[in-house]
Formats: sequence, C-alpha cells, structure tokens
Amino acid sequence: MDRQQEYVLRTIEEQGVRFVRLWFTDVVGKLKSVAIAPAELEEAFADGIGFDGSAIQGLTRVYESDMLARPDAATFQLLPWRGTDHPVARMFCDITTRDDEPARTDPRNILKRALDKAAEMGFTCYVHPEVEFFLFQQETDPETVPVPIDSASYFDHVTRSTAHDFRREAILNLEEMGISVEFSHHEAGPGQNEIDLHFSDALSMADNLMTFKAVIEEVAIRQGVQASFMPKPLIDAPGSGMHTHMSLFEGERNAFSDPVGEYGLSTTGRQFMAGLLRHAGEITAVTNQHVNSYKRLWGKGEAPSYVCWGPNNRSALVRLPRYRHDRPQAARMEYRAIDSAVNPYLAFAVMIRAGLAGIEGNYELPEQADTDVFLLSDLERRILGIQSLPSSLSHALELMEGSELVAETLGEDCFDYFLRDKRHEWEQYSHQITPAERRRFLATY
Amino acid sequence: MREQSLTSQLRKAGFADPARAEQLVDDPALAALRSYRYLADFHDVADPDQCLLALIRLCEACEAARLGAVLHGLIEQPASRARLLALLGMSSSLGDFLISHPTCLEAVVRPSSGASRCGIPITTLAHEREVALRAVGADPNDLFPVARIEDGVNRLRIHYLTRIGALAASDLTAPDPLAAMPEVASQIADIVGGALEAALATARAETEDADKVGLAIIAMGKTGARELNYISDVDVVYVARALDDSLDEDGVIRIASRLATCAGRAVSASAGEPALWMLDANLRPEGKDGPLVRTLDSHVAYYRRWAKGWEFQALLKARPIAGDMELGERYIEELSPHVWVAASRSNFVEDSRAMRRRVEEHVPAREQERQLKLGKGGLRDVEFTVQLLQLVHGRTDESLRKSSTLGAIAALRDGGYVARKDAELLDRDYRLLRTLEHRIQLQRLRRSHLVPSGQAELRRVARGMKCAGITSAADLEHLWQGTRREVRQLHQAIYYRPLLPEAAKLSPDDVSLNSDAAKERLASMGYRDPAGALNHITALTAGVSRTAAIQRQLLPVMLGWFAQGPEPDSGLLAFRVLSERMGRTSWYMRTLRDGGAAAERLCLILSSSRYLADQIPGLAESVSWLVDKEELEPRTREELDTELESMLTRRGEPSQIAGAGRYLRRRELMRTAMGQVLRVVDPVASRAAVSHAAEIAIDAGLRGAVIAACKKLGVSEPLSRYAVFALGRMGGKEMGYASDADILFVHDPFPGVDEVAAQRLANEVASQLARLLKETSPEPPMPVDYDLRPEGRNGPLARSIASFAEYYERWAEVWEYQSLLRARPITGDSDLARQFVDLIAAYRYPQDGLPEPALREIRRIKARVEIERMPRGVRPQHHLKLGRGGLADVEWTAQLLQLKYAGRYPALRTTATLPALQAAREAGLLDHEDAERLCTAWGLASLLRDLNFLGTGRAQASRIDVLPHELGELAVVASLMGKDISDRHDVVEEYLRAARRSRTIVERVFYAHPDSP
Repeated sequence: MDRQQEYVLRTIEEQGVRFVRLWFTDVVGKLKSVAIAPAELEEAFADGIGFDGSAIQGLTRVYESDMLARPDAATFQLLPWRGTDHPVARMFCDITTRDDEPARTDPRNILKRALDKAAEMGFTCYVHPEVEFFLFQQETDPETVPVPIDSASYFDHVTRSTAHDFRREAILNLEEMGISVEFSHHEAGPGQNEIDLHFSDALSMADNLMTFKAVIEEVAIRQGVQASFMPKPLIDAPGSGMHTHMSLFEGERNAFSDPVGEYGLSTTGRQFMAGLLRHAGEITAVTNQHVNSYKRLWGKGEAPSYVCWGPNNRSALVRLPRYRHDRPQAARMEYRAIDSAVNPYLAFAVMIRAGLAGIEGNYELPEQADTDVFLLSDLERRILGIQSLPSSLSHALELMEGSELVAETLGEDCFDYFLRDKRHEWEQYSHQITPAERRRFLATY
Repeated sequence: MREQSLTSQLRKAGFADPARAEQLVDDPALAALRSYRYLADFHDVADPDQCLLALIRLCEACEAARLGAVLHGLIEQPASRARLLALLGMSSSLGDFLISHPTCLEAVVRPSSGASRCGIPITTLAHEREVALRAVGADPNDLFPVARIEDGVNRLRIHYLTRIGALAASDLTAPDPLAAMPEVASQIADIVGGALEAALATARAETEDADKVGLAIIAMGKTGARELNYISDVDVVYVARALDDSLDEDGVIRIASRLATCAGRAVSASAGEPALWMLDANLRPEGKDGPLVRTLDSHVAYYRRWAKGWEFQALLKARPIAGDMELGERYIEELSPHVWVAASRSNFVEDSRAMRRRVEEHVPAREQERQLKLGKGGLRDVEFTVQLLQLVHGRTDESLRKSSTLGAIAALRDGGYVARKDAELLDRDYRLLRTLEHRIQLQRLRRSHLVPSGQAELRRVARGMKCAGITSAADLEHLWQGTRREVRQLHQAIYYRPLLPEAAKLSPDDVSLNSDAAKERLASMGYRDPAGALNHITALTAGVSRTAAIQRQLLPVMLGWFAQGPEPDSGLLAFRVLSERMGRTSWYMRTLRDGGAAAERLCLILSSSRYLADQIPGLAESVSWLVDKEELEPRTREELDTELESMLTRRGEPSQIAGAGRYLRRRELMRTAMGQVLRVVDPVASRAAVSHAAEIAIDAGLRGAVIAACKKLGVSEPLSRYAVFALGRMGGKEMGYASDADILFVHDPFPGVDEVAAQRLANEVASQLARLLKETSPEPPMPVDYDLRPEGRNGPLARSIASFAEYYERWAEVWEYQSLLRARPITGDSDLARQFVDLIAAYRYPQDGLPEPALREIRRIKARVEIERMPRGVRPQHHLKLGRGGLADVEWTAQLLQLKYAGRYPALRTTATLPALQAAREAGLLDHEDAERLCTAWGLASLLRDLNFLGTGRAQASRIDVLPHELGELAVVASLMGKDISDRHDVVEEYLRAARRSRTIVERVFYAHPDSP
C-alpha cells in the first residue's frame, strides 16, 4: 500500500464516505461505474475489483473476460453534489487482466501508450479543450425537437438566466473536484454554453472530461434542465464542438514555441501540425465518432470541414492562436474538428500520434489557408490541394480502415472492434426513415 | 667500487633503469638530501624511476619556495619518508600537485598522530566538513556556513587534493592494502562530503537570499554507500525547503537551484585549479529532464507515482552528505520504506530475472577484456550479485538492508544466505578488484577502469598493490584473470547452490537456505510454485546413488537454466521424470555432466516445450543429439531412405515395416522440434523436415501395405505399379507437426492383368496403408486423408491413371484442379509418378489461364468456406488457418495466381506457397510490398501453429489453429519466438497486424474488389 492509497483510506474514514465509485470508460466513451463500500477499498487497492469484461463494450477479447478494475488513488475525489452528510467519492480505474497486465483495449491504457510514445521522443503532451453543450428544457420524448432554455447568443449576458446559474454551479462543482475552469460563456446557439478547462496533461484531462460530463449531467438534473453533448442537436443552430488546444513540452520548455519562427512556431510545431493535417481524414472516425457528428462537420457555420490551417483562421481545421511573445509557454495549436460526444482517451491518443508521426517523418507543413476556404468553389479548393474531412461516418470508417496509424494507436483489437461497432451504427442509421424523408417523398410519389 | 655497489643497490631497489638513476642520484638538488642513504627504501615504491625524478623536481620546487628545510625534515623521518616516496612513485598527478603546491607538502606527507584503522588514520565526515569549511574561510559552527575568502573555489580544490594526497599516502604505506580498502573507500567519501559542504559555502557566498532556504545534498551510489574510489562521478540528489515563511515554493526552488548549480560549478567547472570530479545529479526524479532541485513533498510524490524499479534500487544507497542535514535525514526517513515496498511490486520478478540475466549472460562491452568494472567477472558483477540477493531476501530480512557491498556480503553470510567460504572469497575478490582500481586511478587521477596493458604501467600497479607475491606485470595479470574467473563461478555458487537441501550439500562449508528463503529465491527466478520446485530438488538430490551425486553437482546451475525458459516449473518436473527413467543409464548422466552445452539446451527445451518434455523420456537417445548442434540438423530424405532400407532388411511383417517408418517419423519430428526450440533450424526448413518425416512413414507404410493387401486378397504379388502423391501442405513441404497427410493414390495395372482385380487390390493397398499408419503401436499414428480424391468420399481410394485421366478430362471441377497445384509424388513407382505429373500438368497449369466463370466459382467457394468452416466461438481474426488474412487466405491467393498464370510463367509451377508468391512477384503479377506482406502473414501464422504445438504438446486443431490467448501459452510462444516474456502481447499484436494487412491484399488480389484500400 502506498502513501496515496493510505491517504485515500484516511480521508474516507475522516469524512465518513459511504460509497466509493470506481469509474472507467468503455471504447465508445461511456462512463462505467462500480460502487463499493469503503471496507472493500483496501482490498480493491491490493487486488483490484473483478468484473466480467465481456459485458462492457469493446473492452476485452472474449477469452480474457475476467478483468480487474484497479483504482488509481491519485484520482480520488469526493463527489460534491452528493453533499457532505453521506459523501460519495470516485476514483478512475485502470483495467487489467487477471495477470495484472494492462488490458489492451482499455481506453485509458490506449492513451497511456500514446503518451509513452511521446515520452520516448522526449515530450509531454498538454491539452486544453473548450467543451460546448446545449441546455434544453426537460423533455423525454425523442421525437420532438428539443427546446433550448434561452434564446441568447455568443457571449450574451442573460440576467437571472438558468444558464448563468447553471454555469456557476457547474464550475463550483468542477473546482471542488480539482478541475480548474479557464473560461465559460454563452455560446452562439440558443441554450448553448461553453466551458473551457484549464490546460493539463492529456491523461488527467481525459479523466477530467469524463468527470466533467458527469458533473454537467448532475447539475442539469438538479436544475431541472437537460444537458446534451450531442454534436448537432438543432438544425439551425451551430453544433457542439470540443476545440482542443494542444502543446508539447520538452521538460519545462514548450516545444512548439520558437520566438523567431513564423507565428512563433518551432519546427517541431510545424511538423506536429503537418502530422495532424496529413492524418486528419484517418482519425476523424475517432474524433467524430457518431453519425450525427458529420451533421455538425458539414452543417456550415464555423465547423471546419476542410483540411487546412491558418493563424487565427476560424474556418481552418487547425488554428494557431496568437500568444504573447513574452509567454512562450502558451504556444499551442487548436484542433477544431473534434466534437463533444467523443471518447476523449481515444481521441487524444490518435491526435497526439498523428502529430508525432509528423515529427518522426519530418513532414512538410502545407501552405496556410489565408482566405475563408468555405467561400472557395470546389474547383478552387482542388486546385489549392485542400482536402475535405470525410462527409459521413461511413466515409470516415473507410479512411480509418486503411490507416496504419490508427491501427497502431488503438491496437489491433480495439481498432477492429471500433470499426465493427461503428459500421453497425452506420447500418442502424441508414435503416432510419426520417420525418424529413416522409415530408419530402411521401406525398410526392 | 662505490659505483658498482650503487648500481647493484639501485637494481635491487627495483629501478628499471639503474644507469639513469645513478646519474639522478648525483643531481645537486638530491645531493643535499643525501639520498644514497635510503636507496633501499625505494624497494617499497611502485615505480622507483618515476619517484626519483619527481623527488628531484620536488626538491627544486621546495628550494624555490624556501621550504627546503621542511622537505629535509620530512625526508629524515622514516615514516614520512616512506609516505612521500610511495606517493611520488605511484601517482604522477599527486606528485605534480605537491611540486606545484609545496606549501601543502607537510599536510600531505606528515603522518597523522591520531588513531588509525588498518594503517589508515581515522577521520569522520564531521571532521572533513570542518577542515574543508575552514579552508574556504567559513565558520563550521554556523548552521549554514558561508565562504568568506576570495578565490574559495581554488582553495577548496587545493584543500581537497591535500586530503586525498594524505589519504593516498596512508593507503600506499598501509601494511595490508586489502584490509585497508574499505576504510580508504569510506574516507574518500567523507572527503568528498567535506568538499561538497565547502562548495555549498562558496555557493552561498554567491547567492542572494541563500539563508532563506535549506538545501540538502543527498549522496547516492558509491558516495552514498561510502565505498567511493579515488576518482568517480559523484552521484547526488538535491532537496530543498524554505527557512523563511515569506518564500513560496517557486522561490525556494529558484534559490536552491542556483545554490546547487554554483556548488556544482565549484567542484566541476574549470578554474585556476583543475576540476575535481563531475557532480552528477542525473539519478534525480525524471533524470536529466527533471528539475535539479525539488522539495521533499515533490520527491515523495514522484516516488509514489512515477518511479521505476531501478530508481528505488538507487535509493538503497542514499544518505545525506552535506547542507541541511536535518532535511536530508527526513528525506531518507520518508523514502527508504519505499525501497522495500517496491521490491514486492508485481514486476519485481521480471526485474530480478533481467538483472540475473545481465550478470549471467553479460552484454559484451567494448574493451571488455581489459575492463575492471563492466567486464566479465568485474566489479559490477560482484555488486549485482550482492544487490540481487539483497532485493530478493531483504524484503523479509531487515538485517540485509546494508548500503555498502562489503557490509551486505557480511550480512548475507551472517544471515545464512551465502556460504561462509563463498562470502570470504567474494569479499576478498571485491577488495582486490577495488584495490587494483584504486592503484590504476591513482596514477594520473583519471576516472579509468581499464587495466593497463603496457608492461611498465602494469608493473607499477603490481608493485603498488603490495600484495604478497605480486611484484611483476605477469603476476598481476595472472591474479586479475584468476579473480575474474572466480567471481563468475562464485555467482553460480552463491545464487543457486544454497537451494540444495541440507542433506544434499556439496560440501560441509555450503549453506542450505531455509525453506522460506529458498522459496523467495526460486520465486525471484520465475518459479511459480517454489514449494513444488523444492520438492523436486529434494527428490532429485536425495540418496547416495551416483546419479544423485551427479545431480547435486548439476542441479544448482540447471535451476538457473530452467528459469531461462518460460515454464521453469514444468521444466524441472520433466527433468525429474526423465531422470527417474534414465538416471541409471550411464551415458545419459555423462552427457549432461560432460556434454558442454547439452545440459543447458536440455533445460531450455524442457522448460519451453511440453511436447518435447513428454516425448524425450520415450526416446532418451535424443538427449545425446544436444551435444552437437549438427545432430539437430534435419536429416535429408535420401538419408532417411537409406536408413529405412537398412532397417527393412531385418523386418518382414507389414506392421513391423510400417512401424520402422513410423519410428523414423517420430524421431525426426523430435529432432526437428528440438532444432526449432533451440532455433538451430529455421521454420521453412523445419516444415520441410516434418514433411520428409511423414513421407518416410508413408513410404514404409506403402511397402507394408502391398504385402498385407496381397496376403489378404490371396494374391502372390502386386498387379499394378503404385504411386502416392502428397497434396495440400504436405505437397508444398509445409506440414505442421500435427498436420494430417493429404494424399492421392494412383496405380497402373501391369499389362495383361485383370483390371478389375488390379483395381480391387489397389484399393486394398490404399486402405491397408491408412490402417498400418494408424494402428495401435508404440509409435504415434500418422493419419492419412484421401478426401481430396476424385468424387471425394464416394470415390474409390485408389484409381488407375487411366481413370484419373478420364475423370479430370470429363468430370473434375475447378477446385479439384486447384488442389492438384499441390500434388507432389512422395513414394512408389517413379515412372508412374512422372506419367501422372505429366497428365495433370494441363489441368493445373492451364495454358490460357482460367475463364471468368471458373475464377468466380473459386471465389465463391472460398467465400463460403470462410463462413462455414470457421469454428464457432472463435474470432475470425484469431483463427490462424481460416481467419482473415491467415493461411487459407494467402494460399488461395497464391493458387489463384498460379491457375491464372502458371501456363504462361513456368516459374509459378511450384507446390509450395512462398516460392509461388515469390515467382508471382518476379513475374510482375504481384507488387513487391504485397508479396512481402502475404509472405509475412503466412509465415507468422505457420510459425504460430508450430509453436502452439511445441509449447502445449496438444495436437487438436481447436488448440493449434488459434492465436494463443491464455497468458501462459502466450508467454511460451513468445519465448519460443525469441522474445522476452514481457513482450508477449506483441505476438498477438504483430500477428493481427500482419493478418489485417494480408487480408487487404487478399480482398484486392483474390476477390478482386476494386475499391479495397
């Protein structure tokens, strides 16, 4: 038993914690939770908690279905919304086999492998996501169009609005759980909000994002509204993206920063960006994993559907935010395709590996796009060599299937599972006959 | 008269060049010292010639500095004279130091009046701290002293060399240098400690707000263990704390880092006086990339979360040495419990196995033959042996938690983990190697670990050792080589021999571990059931028989060899079984004892292959093949034919005849398996050998079957010529150990015989063949399969060549032509075989390729097979034979190309898969990369099937056709592939990747999907 674990046990005793939730994530990014009594925790630290892995989406090969969840004591947090009378705590778990080897398909392990790869090259990866989501009036019928809780817009200050209270309570809860919030504001769509998390290493951030969604959903329930991270819930409002800023550090130094480089960007930074751009098509099935994701990507507005970059260009796939030259630590790039319904572990893993591939392979960065690529014609884009992101989940899967990079990042088993699972999603989707189709065709023919 | 006696005096004193020495003695500078009076003293000097020369220069320097009287006084006294001469004769660097700093002469050379140990005056870290601080003008009574003089850095360095010089003088004049070695080593560490304290004092003088932080320097490595050599990097770690509440953590780290950097510069950077040594802080958390200084909390957090096994191991030797000692003590208190907790972590066994391998196999380093530290039998070997045992047993036995090597050896001896005799030898060897290291380094104060090869230098070092009987270069060389050998042997003796039970001890001096300690040690080697292993050891070594006696000798080292394989436990068990059966056979034990690598190979085989572990006791002569690798080379078909021929001269019964072939097959399977496990035989050759083994069995079977069939049908002699063709993987010489033999049986009635009778007899021969090859016998069955014959199970087993001709012309379907691609004659009438080969050429290699409907038909059949034949419950990717991208995929692709193009490209006319793919590539029918990828996937799938069989010994298709998934099996397969067990998941990953890539090509080339990626 190490000190951190002792600390956890002591805290549990002192605070009178009634239950400890052990959290982990399945391949599609759903949070899984096992609650145990504090008395069982000591044993859980020592031997892990056994469960049937084959019941969890994509987690195991059938034969190694006996899995162990091993709580990571460093992630211990009380759940603030459960109050202080009978507090409940949570910890993230690593999933291992009975022989104590990390499960190959545990998303947390997949991200760890990608980070190990970065570490081998001498880098630590930091990320900083801007999470967008909608707040709707509570409604249980999926057939009706959801009604946003307000009709405000970007940065609007809405006096005494639910959204305002909502964000305040959510942020307080997050801060209590050790997740610092950089920024929060009302987004462009009605009922749409954005909360930016303070940058952190990629693994902690992925954990934080899982926590984040749980917190938002809890707060929503308490305030009698419905929170949704669905990529594109409303036809006429922008979708919910999760623009993610990334930077690599070599020791204490930001590897993307070079005061004399163009836009303050180092060669490493240029190569990383080149990697992201070159592999953007292949990783899209992971960063935008649902059929609905593609409605955001191709739903006009600010969603980046073309593979290009620019300094501060809001239509580009990769944007280079300006930073002050006296703050080289702030050098970073923003990947804008990814949406809020993502499995953060897998998405960060593929994004990082794509960038690292650029560094390893000395990729050349293509020329920047200095105009709004949306305004160009298809022909013009073709002449400029600007490619598009896949137009549908099906198309994205085709690209992913041919990707050695994604196969290696996810591992063969997870890669295969992911493809099968997502093809299934596509088939189910193609099966649908929507009201729009009926409106369009029923009477016409 | 005087001259003559002087020359001989000089020669006697050990001068290499007495003539030159004679001139020097007359040098006016020396004359004043009247050196001729003590020429005999030079006898004790390492290098008299060098010494004399240095003495002259020193005289001149002292005169120039008006210190001639001091030198005189020192020379007149025998004790200080001996010290001076010894120093000048051994170390040219320290000689130069005295010559350039004659004011230090007295402090270096005058013997200390205080107490001494083994001839070395005792000092303490506190004393060294005090004198070093005074040397830089700091007040030792201050809690955090500050250097108050100009040029503190150079003063510090001069002081350091003065202290080292004085110590070296004591060391070189000690009555027994080996006894003095530990004292010398610990004093070097204390002097380094003093220097670090003084370096900090100079750093404080240069750093603003230095008084607001406490900075502790923690010594690691040899400095920490107080067993430092004269010149070495000094490994340290820094911890800091705030002494002033106004300072936040960033401030503490900033100031403390500046202090640490300044202190490092004080000892390592260039200045007026030469640098002392490198201050190396790379053992700190995160190594080079981590911050130089951390707070205690930050250290603790790191070790809790991130630190790796070896980092805890480094902590074993940590000790506060300078600066804020109270903080340093707290650092040790906080972290030392982690060391032993770490030892019980899950990867401990892997770590210690890796460490043990490191000692035993040894990575050949450059200059390894002259390497004192890293070479075979060098210092590192002693240190690793000791540390390994500390980690294994120190978890439960706190008395072993000693930081110094010699202290640990003594503790291991006292705890009964190492035999007293072995401990003494190891202790002596370590002292000897270290003393040798000290002498080598003293010469020029260089951080060298190379034993010199020049005669002059060797001689100087030899004389400087002052060991009895060691005076010449040759003596030293001999002693060193002997010590190295002894260290290597001691590792074996120390690590394994104490595992023998009390009753089986090889000599009364040996120790026998108690059962808990023995279990710990076995577990650390990778035995999963140490208690069971102990039982086997006891059983194998019990008794007074010759076998038991030999096994007592052999077993300790064999225990280590078993542990090199993935399943040490089952290896040991198999050895016990084998021994119980074979123990009385004298050649068997002799082979193991005297057979060179044979015993080691046997251990590796028994702990890697269940198949061989089961089979070897049944064919004990196989053990003798292990002596010579050539015996493991597959026998050729011709050799086997000859051997069968000679065996058949003594056999007449059909069963006996077939039995001879089956015996040969079993033997060759084992030979091939052994070769493959030991990786003497590559997979392509091993599959060919397995195919040959099957052929010889079928050859013998056919001979027996003809006799049996004639007898059964009451015919006096055969009515046809017979030929047997192999199909499938056997046809391609690609058989796996557990493959059935797919065959076709062809006959051609002799002219004039009754064709109906001939057909009946041929059928009978074919059926007798199958029977004889699988009838109950001590030999394993060789199942033959006629299912690929015309009309399948409805057709006759044998057909005449005329009937084949008609069938292929009129009735055969495209898949039957496809199966003929693999047809290869293996036994029977060679003319008939040739006729048949000619007959089928037009069908299997159609001149114009295949028409589109036929291609479509083949694709359809394949698509159906993929679904229908796949066993339930197996993931398609994981099935090596029928799964995506697996054997069938690749083979059908190759065969499709053959059917389409072999008519045009004769190079494609081969029965084997890999050559067919190669030929297709060369003919431009397949991309280079595509061919590569198909070959890789096919090769891996085939190999995994073989290894599945060898590893588990099970032959069911459900076992061997599937990617191993149980972790134990995976470990076995990984290790048979030559991978580390910890990389076992890579095997799965590697195969799945290869198969995925192969499948993409299959979809494109075989199924002709235009839009496959």
